[in-house]
Amino acid sequence: MGNNSSGEAEPNDGSKPHVPNPEAIADAVLKLDHVHDALGHPRRRYLCYTLLERTEWSLTDLATNIAAWEGDVPEHEVRPDERTAVYVSLYHNHVPNLVERRVVAYDETTETLSAAENTQQVLAALEGIGASLNGAQETHARSEIDDESTR
Amino acid sequence: MTSRQDRNSKEGEYLGDRTNDLTQAAQRRYDGERELTTEIVYAVAAARGVEPTDVHSPPLYECVDAATVETALFGRSTSEDRPVADGTVEFTYAEFLVTVRKDGWIQVSETGARQKTS
Repeated sequence: MGNNSSGEAEPNDGSKPHVPNPEAIADAVLKLDHVHDALGHPRRRYLCYTLLERTEWSLTDLATNIAAWEGDVPEHEVRPDERTAVYVSLYHNHVPNLVERRVVAYDETTETLSAAENTQQVLAALEGIGASLNGAQETHARSEIDDESTR
Repeated sequence: MTSRQDRNSKEGEYLGDRTNDLTQAAQRRYDGERELTTEIVYAVAAARGVEPTDVHSPPLYECVDAATVETALFGRSTSEDRPVADGTVEFTYAEFLVTVRKDGWIQVSETGARQKTS
């Protein structure tokens, strides 16, 4: 465990892609700690993807979408206990992590997530490596957003 | 710790043992299925008798780097991230002392006075 990036713990849910050779990632990405760390967990990447097309999210909606993606089920089939587990992990871990790096802003009163000053930087990095690193995840995040917007 | 819980049980019953004015309020076992952060919050919720989603302010993230504790104590299933720490990790969260043991048991004890967290 030599640095912060490898110290990041996460459940092995089978969806974590192999991290590509660091040399394959643009130098610009590696130099930006907050970008690197924001992308260091599947749930945080998913959260960032969702900000690509919609700038505001309720924490509950986001938890439902992430649980659906992880369980490979439609949103309406997400079990309440799974949604609760994701909600808790977002509220107590991933959201404050991204808030600290100013990748997202969180309104405690309305439980709403929105973009912050570093969002664009992270999204640009995701756009650049998304196709090879995690295209399926991005596709799912975007399709969930499309579903939401057509309701 | 003298009590041995059923290995299949994720949530231990109230034990009621007192040590140094600490009352154990809840315990729960981390098994790698969910993030350590999540399991700790579930244990705190059990100690308070509330739903996990009602455990707010502050986020656990502000009190402890649970992700690093998780890697240090339990490692991951990938070969490059083996457990490096032994023993237990203790920290305070709100009115509780939280102990995470190497064997996966998370114990939440009331400290008697609400502690300031920052």
